[in-house]
Amino acid sequence: MRHRSRAIDLWDRFGLLTIVLVSWLVFALFADGFTSDFNIFSVGRAVAVSVVIGLAQMVVIATGGMNISVGAIGGVSAMFTGWLLEGVGVPVPIAILGGIGMGAALGAINGILIVRTGINSFIITLGTASVFSGLMYVVTKVQAFRNLPPDFIDIGQTRWLGVSPLVWAMVFTCAFLWFLYRGTTLGRQMLATGANPRTARLSGVPVNRIIAVTHMLSGALAGLAGVMLLLRIGSAIPTIGGDWVLPSFAAPAVGGTLLSGGVVSVVGTFIGGLLLATIGNGLTLLNVPSFWVELTTGLVLLLAVLLDRARTLAVLRSRTGVQQPAASAAAKVEM
Amino acid sequence: MNRPVRNFIRAESFPLLVVVVLAGAGLAVLRPEFTKEFNLYVLLFDISGSMLVAFSQMMVIATGGMSLAVGATGGLSAVLAAGLMVSYGVPVEVAVVVGLLAGIAMGFANGFLTVKTGINPFIITLATSAAYEGTNFGITSSNPYYDLPTQFTDFGQARTSMFPHPLLISILVAVALGFVLYRTVVGRSILAVGGNARAAEMAGIHVGRTIVIAHVISGFLAALGGLMLMARLGNGSPTIGSQWLLPSFATVLIGGALLAGGKVSITGAILGCALLALIANGLVIFRADPYWVTFLEGALILAAVGLNQLRSTSTRQSIRPRPQAQPMPATK
Repeated sequence: MRHRSRAIDLWDRFGLLTIVLVSWLVFALFADGFTSDFNIFSVGRAVAVSVVIGLAQMVVIATGGMNISVGAIGGVSAMFTGWLLEGVGVPVPIAILGGIGMGAALGAINGILIVRTGINSFIITLGTASVFSGLMYVVTKVQAFRNLPPDFIDIGQTRWLGVSPLVWAMVFTCAFLWFLYRGTTLGRQMLATGANPRTARLSGVPVNRIIAVTHMLSGALAGLAGVMLLLRIGSAIPTIGGDWVLPSFAAPAVGGTLLSGGVVSVVGTFIGGLLLATIGNGLTLLNVPSFWVELTTGLVLLLAVLLDRARTLAVLRSRTGVQQPAASAAAKVEM
Repeated sequence: MNRPVRNFIRAESFPLLVVVVLAGAGLAVLRPEFTKEFNLYVLLFDISGSMLVAFSQMMVIATGGMSLAVGATGGLSAVLAAGLMVSYGVPVEVAVVVGLLAGIAMGFANGFLTVKTGINPFIITLATSAAYEGTNFGITSSNPYYDLPTQFTDFGQARTSMFPHPLLISILVAVALGFVLYRTVVGRSILAVGGNARAAEMAGIHVGRTIVIAHVISGFLAALGGLMLMARLGNGSPTIGSQWLLPSFATVLIGGALLAGGKVSITGAILGCALLALIANGLVIFRADPYWVTFLEGALILAAVGLNQLRSTSTRQSIRPRPQAQPMPATK
């Protein structure tokens, strides 16, 4: 990475943050109420949920796979938590852990299916997504849980040290994942698997177990996101998670997590989620109809991957140009 | 047994045909209302619509790609045509042609972006489908276009006893695709690229152009499917296509296509459509929870890819038995 040009280096460090700051500035100037205390509180909660959704996808992308069922898992977990609280009446902490555990279990099913069959993760999770939500629809008869206990609802409304507990949950999750990738063997093995599964296997990484564990982690994070969204909206609706696929890929992609695997950026995914939630909130305050938010998210995703591609090519060119002109042929094939 | 019969039974789609026939026969025996003319008409219409959706996905899968934008393309094309007919009074023929051209353009955009950037088609079509769908809802403000010209809706709803006239279009498309895929250079190139892009390139096939062509055909078919569904529904609803993603993969994969590309089956895809339509129809007739459809579609995808995987492993083993695996049996 020594041959990167200076502009690319600068962009890598500050580019995304600049875009977020510019979008804040624009919304603060043009959208009434964007900087109000209440709005900042509610943007914080939205950001927290969208970052965790992004992280649920990010961990799988890092191993070179994808998880189409993040939304389905989030929805099932939210409904399960709602049922535990309203139908069974368990204490709040247990219900929350139950939701996350449900997510982890469903993620483990994905992981085991992928590893055992050797079929690619896209098609397995596309299938399980509809299996999971289909079963949930049948079991719940598509009825919402609307009478959740007040001490659960309160968590979504109160503030701890000035910000929503959801934001704290998001911060701790980010810190946990950052540590996982920086400081643990498991995290390094996940990245090794994503970069090149064959090499990883030859170096003694238990690739299959790593992939299964990653899907379990992704499921747990999706479950957490489901529970967080449940806290934010206050009732368990079966449609939770129905529109997560696009933002789940957009947040990590915007944040520079390469879709080819092996590279991960927790901070980037955080900023990506921040950007998406800010744009969503700002556009709503500007009275832009909600469907333009989807269009914008799509365009942001497209722009992010195109920029990333241009950057990779620029790095390749600067490297091959200086050192080994012969390698350009190999680089071309790789494209 | 004579040769044609044997070939027929050994065909890869034969087990699926048996399943479809058994499912149909089972429904007919258990529930007399299944064989009512109107029910069969609804069933056949479902099949003819989902055939186009399946083919649209199949063309991209054949190159080893995929398109998440099939539904969004069909929806936006249909809504564009509806807007032209209703709001601007454009003649039906012109509006339909514009709708189809819009589908072609969207397919071209998908293919062009995939090829030019080298980013995987999953992420490109995820992004473009959001863009198309967003535009769709932007144009319609989430409200359907009612009062489509009767000339247009009459065709969509026309039937001769139990045969919907649009079925004719789907059959023609199936025949045309069969011809293109197996008898033309373009079609063979599409399959070759899906089989092994590198080998295809070395054999002199223009890989990028071939992928773009596959996406263009896919966009055209998605638009045709969207228009057909709209003609049947009688209004230009912005939700046309929003539920196509899962069935588009399910039907093609149940039909025996490989997600890795290079191998698709038109007959298989049609049988896949028939199977899904029978399941949906059966659930309605038995007054079961309609949400089982979601579950079963997912389960069928998993079963189909699992079976494919098994088949390809066992074929590989039978073609190339592992050396020194077992002592050869002395007698047979």
